[in-house]
Amino acid sequence: MNKLYIRNAVLLAFILLSASCKKYLEEVPDNSLPTESSITDASTARAAIIGAFDRVQGYYASNYPTLGTITTDNVIFNGTLSEYLQLDQNAIPTDNVITVAAYQNIYRTINSANSVIAAVPGVADPLLTTAERNKILGEAYFIRALSYFDLGRGWGGVQLQLKPTTDLNVLKGIKRSTLDQTYDQVLADLIQAEQLLPEDATVRNRAQKSAARALRARLHLYRKQWADAETYAGQVISNTKYTLVKPYKSFFTAPFQTSESVLELAYSANDRNTYWNLWYPSSAGGQFTLKPSDALVAKLNNPAIGGSRNTLIAGSGTTVYGVLYNTTATSVDPSYLIRIAELYLIRAEARAQQNKLTEAAADLNAVRARADVPASTATTQSGLLQAIEDENGIEFAFEAHRWFDLVRTERAGAVLGITNRNYWLFPIPYSDVQSDPDVVQNPGY
Amino acid sequence: MNHLYKKGIYLFLCVFWSAITFAQVNPTIKSTLNGTVQDLTTNQPLPGAVVRIKGTTHSVSTDSEGKFSFRTGQSFPYVLIISFIGYEQKELTVNGSPVTIRLQETLNQLNDVVVTGYSTQERKYIAGSISSISGSTVQNQPSGGFNQLLQGKTTGVQVTSNSGVPGGGITFRVRGNNSINASVDPLYIIDGVFVNNSDPITAGLGNQAASNPLSDLNPSDIEDIQILKDANATAIYGSLGANGVIIVTTKRGTRNTKANINLNTFQGWSTAVDKFKVASGPEVALLTNESRINTAKDNGLDPSTVVLPFPDPSSQPTYDRISGLFRTARTENYELSTQGGTDKSTYYISLGYLNQESIVKPSDYTRYSGRLNYDNYLTDKLKIGTSINFTRSDRNLSGSDNNPTGVINSALFPRSYLPIYNADGTYARYGSFDNHLALIENLDSKATGWRTIGNIFGEYNILPGLKLRSSWSLDNTSEYDNSYSNTLISAGIASNGSASSSEVKTQVLTNEQVLSFVKSLGANKKHNINALIGNTINTVLNQSTTATGTGFAANSLKSVSVAATRSGSASRAETKLLSFFSKASYTYDGKYTIDGSIRADGSSKFGTNKRWGYFPSGGVAWRLSQEDFIKDLNFFNELKLRASLGLSGNQNGIGAYAAQGLWSSGANYLEQPGIAPTQLINPDLTWETTRQFNVGTDFSILKNRLSITADYYNKYTYDLLLNVPVPYRSGFASYLQNYGAVRNKGFELGINSTNIETDAFQWTTNFNISFNKNKIEKLASDISLGASGRNISILRQGYSVNSFQLYKQLYVDPQTGNAVYDDVNKDGIITSADRQIVGNALPKYTGGLTNNFTYKGFDFSFFFYFQQGNKIMNMNDFFMVHGGTQANIGFLPRQLERWQNPGDVTDIPRLTTYSANPTQNGGAANNYGGNVASLSSRYLEDGSFIRLKALTLSYSLPKDVLGRIGVSKLRIYVQGTNLLTFTKYGGLDPEVSSQSNNQNTVGYDWATVPQPKTIQVGANVTF
Repeated sequence: MNKLYIRNAVLLAFILLSASCKKYLEEVPDNSLPTESSITDASTARAAIIGAFDRVQGYYASNYPTLGTITTDNVIFNGTLSEYLQLDQNAIPTDNVITVAAYQNIYRTINSANSVIAAVPGVADPLLTTAERNKILGEAYFIRALSYFDLGRGWGGVQLQLKPTTDLNVLKGIKRSTLDQTYDQVLADLIQAEQLLPEDATVRNRAQKSAARALRARLHLYRKQWADAETYAGQVISNTKYTLVKPYKSFFTAPFQTSESVLELAYSANDRNTYWNLWYPSSAGGQFTLKPSDALVAKLNNPAIGGSRNTLIAGSGTTVYGVLYNTTATSVDPSYLIRIAELYLIRAEARAQQNKLTEAAADLNAVRARADVPASTATTQSGLLQAIEDENGIEFAFEAHRWFDLVRTERAGAVLGITNRNYWLFPIPYSDVQSDPDVVQNPGY
Repeated sequence: MNHLYKKGIYLFLCVFWSAITFAQVNPTIKSTLNGTVQDLTTNQPLPGAVVRIKGTTHSVSTDSEGKFSFRTGQSFPYVLIISFIGYEQKELTVNGSPVTIRLQETLNQLNDVVVTGYSTQERKYIAGSISSISGSTVQNQPSGGFNQLLQGKTTGVQVTSNSGVPGGGITFRVRGNNSINASVDPLYIIDGVFVNNSDPITAGLGNQAASNPLSDLNPSDIEDIQILKDANATAIYGSLGANGVIIVTTKRGTRNTKANINLNTFQGWSTAVDKFKVASGPEVALLTNESRINTAKDNGLDPSTVVLPFPDPSSQPTYDRISGLFRTARTENYELSTQGGTDKSTYYISLGYLNQESIVKPSDYTRYSGRLNYDNYLTDKLKIGTSINFTRSDRNLSGSDNNPTGVINSALFPRSYLPIYNADGTYARYGSFDNHLALIENLDSKATGWRTIGNIFGEYNILPGLKLRSSWSLDNTSEYDNSYSNTLISAGIASNGSASSSEVKTQVLTNEQVLSFVKSLGANKKHNINALIGNTINTVLNQSTTATGTGFAANSLKSVSVAATRSGSASRAETKLLSFFSKASYTYDGKYTIDGSIRADGSSKFGTNKRWGYFPSGGVAWRLSQEDFIKDLNFFNELKLRASLGLSGNQNGIGAYAAQGLWSSGANYLEQPGIAPTQLINPDLTWETTRQFNVGTDFSILKNRLSITADYYNKYTYDLLLNVPVPYRSGFASYLQNYGAVRNKGFELGINSTNIETDAFQWTTNFNISFNKNKIEKLASDISLGASGRNISILRQGYSVNSFQLYKQLYVDPQTGNAVYDDVNKDGIITSADRQIVGNALPKYTGGLTNNFTYKGFDFSFFFYFQQGNKIMNMNDFFMVHGGTQANIGFLPRQLERWQNPGDVTDIPRLTTYSANPTQNGGAANNYGGNVASLSSRYLEDGSFIRLKALTLSYSLPKDVLGRIGVSKLRIYVQGTNLLTFTKYGGLDPEVSSQSNNQNTVGYDWATVPQPKTIQVGANVTF
């Protein structure tokens, strides 16, 4: 009797257990979506483009501006982390942490943008209006353009991934493009973006038509297409949404989002940017890895060169430090992607190159006047180009500019002493060379 | 989950009910037997011996005077089986009352009963490789974790304390590293509970594991420890067993014994064996000047034009920061326990308190522990019991290693001519570093852990030999960390005070049913069967909540709730494991044993296609000593050969949802929710499997005075759960897949010897040594990591894990003073292609030697631990022998050995900060910078050492003295720990692993607290 009972109970338990075994082993996270249902309605489409902006933050918060500054004569290494020392000495191994992280994060951004571009047109949700759909797609095209532009000017022509990575097979057979092909892709995406994006009078922390035009002006400048660069820079400058704000420091003073800004990524208490930590000394709570060079400090403190841009630095003696990123208490410094001052200098350079010297000087002096610096004395074409180069170096001392400018104008040898042109491009990450049969390392690494 | 438990409870109740009905059967009394059980040689009564009537399940145990009685339905004569732990089992035919039974004490370890997976077996029948360690080995030591104390005590395990911080993380490996990305820690089972061994502390301490979760168990509660090493022993734990299994059994009472009360205490004083030494102010100034002059020369300038930073180096002051770091650290330990049993129940209850300071301020560790082990024999057939462990641990945490604002970093790295205080009396800070005194006085990072490890079980003897056991276990870890950085330390300066408060909870629920059958059959009981079948249901739930805040009105306000800016986060992950297993062992005539086991595991972590894994094993043992041809030799007292082969699995260390394609939330921007792809789907993800072959022998000679165990094993782990790097253009960095293989093979030898044994004097020696060779047999591509992105550690096919890749410095050119490196690819320049593997952090062998001398009441023992062949990357040298390149960092005295003049022969190159021509071999740029960037083999040192771990002298008062004061045992002792170390290592302590958070970055010494030297006095009293 008893045995029978036990046997039945065991049997019953066993049947119930095996039936629920399969279900029992199903576990899903509560903070992630399954890939197959990631972009399905208006709400997830919005979230996906927000996610793409978050990815842009991923490389612009710290890594990309570092690549544009410590590599030059403006900023020197002052810390203990050798990845920064390598950049400062322009002896960059293929596993340099900063270049690897930037490269990786840019492609992460591209994968996000590709996912939006692939999935959002197919979302059937009445809550997603055509206007909003276009805005989301326009932002995705802009972000992809920005990403490939940033890859192109750092690493040269790269592999063009235009579809989301659903599995590793979609990667096969895609070789590196030429720099021209990469820039052509940027242009194609910018044309799409400009059509699809909205424009209003206030938004500066998401892409709008003007941001697409501004990036296009920069692209043409990099490609030495002077007339186009002048045209598109002019379109942005003529937009009353943007002005050169005075004093200089107001654009990097909280609450930010000044009319100086064509595009800046915003941060908040819940979405911090601690880049200041690399610039501030430990007595102020930072690490002081990035330090303004003595030469830059001298220029900034010279009223005829730096003018009111001496507000970019603080401290004295051996502890002079950069304060462009200064929200030490709150960590909400924006990432400055495109400022209107840049458009003036793009147009100045494009005009100078086309020998429109007076107009070029006017644009240059607009930027100088804002910084309370006397007008440039340069009158010749070469003199103006040199003055514009110098102005870029001061105006954007701690932003992602000088390195890329000196490389694009082929002046990195003369100015920085890097005569080996191979080192004008960053290395393709070591692990990609190992894991990707389709990639070829940049020469010299 | 819940409904499953309900089902289980229902099942359990069914069993329980039937037991009660069984018990209600009333037998007819046919005979009464009274008797006594005694020790054969001493005639002392043996309380708690179990007496059973053969062929029945009727058993009783002896009382405190060794007496028992039977009232039974059996009539005389019948056979009694008398068993008692530590004594030979005896069968005796009785034909009338009373009887006196004398048991022979077991002299041979082979007859011990060994706890194996889900069962116990006599050692002589075991085919697997299992080490047994008595609990007393790990008791009364100035250290919190029992696993840490297994160092050098047995074969096949390698144990390293990562630092000298009490309660801090340790590295524990059984027969080498099996894996690369999955866990390499063994499975710990305490009284049948699968315990969680993941470090719950969230506070950032550099890259160091902040705690040893096993230090939540008071070592004094431990009865014995079994280490299951080979596949035959571990396969029954299937998916959890590949890294070895540590089974801990805690103390329980014995039936019919009078309560005894034990009081243990010790007091310890710890100091640093060696303290950091840095170059003095004048020396730093001299070196800085020299570097400046040399750099000018390298740049083609006239050195006489150089403006020296220190025109008069000798006038520089020296500020001593190091002495402010260290202290004489106190350890206090108090324990109270009681143990005993009645006819129907047994108990063990203990309370413990341990407080231990770190020799480097301000860390400390406090543990409050309590344990209740209780068993009740409800009927002859049904026993229920419980083991409950409560622990509270308090840790005062302090960062180190790669954290520049850590206490040691802030004392060690700043230049010694710089004052500690500013002129206005405030704390001075330099470069990236904080002020060490500010940190010591203001660090406020506390971790409070609550740990409950509990188990209830019921055991029911269905038929003689057939037993059903059901067990329900909980391991609940709750870690509550609060840290506050006020405005006097740099972490709080900028934000005006910053606080974080986090709670991490881990719950492991395990239910298991085991039906076991142990029977001897046939004529002369020649056939012995030991078999079992069972299942387990296991759930692991991890949850955490964190709140952070910045901006406080005053330094005395610390609560996140009053911060100006607050944010929070929470996470949850749950995994499940279902298992079915069976094991059978058959022994013929006490000579030949064959056994096998199989386990099926289904894990929620794996892909839908390959969720289940199957892990079989088999073993054979041959006791040659039972064969006549060996007996005739008259040489061996015991001789056994063993061999086993089997599979075991691993799933620990990968994410709960590792096989799923995921878009993560939290990719937010502009206060709007964002999502972004984070993980590629892998529906084929499945178990990492280890195939292990083991052969071994156990033998003893000279009347069991010398016993030796030797094992050879070869473990091949394949289908590694490997984060295979994928091209970054995919938008992902890696893809978790089953790829790669690792092999560990090795040899172990353990010797126990009783050198001298007389009534008054005894001398015993234990020696063990373990060799392990690790090799990565298959890997998708090299994986470099470690040292904050410097990639000093590397995983490469054909080499062992934990290898170091550096530029190999061949020599310093005596003419130029520049370092010359090995140009591996012979292209004439130094590039990253010239980095090579120059050593690794794994010792070739480890071992221990213990000698014990007993003379009357005195006991003297000493224990040496040794390891050989491992390398240590000395990061302190890396940073502080920098040739002038680090303007904010001082120098170590080793820098003074630099090359100065042509003809100097040294391994420290000429000081310079010249940076042009970074590819030139033998050029000035690569001395300390350039492409080499100081990643030079000159900072890699031999970490071999021999250490006198413990030296103990104790005295037990004689019984007649004790009788008068009402005490049954009193032992007082004095012990020294880490008194002597023999090593060539130039850092403070060769037993170090600063980057221990990652199993693949072992062997770094980086601003780490060294192992202290401790003197302790203690007493053990039993009433």
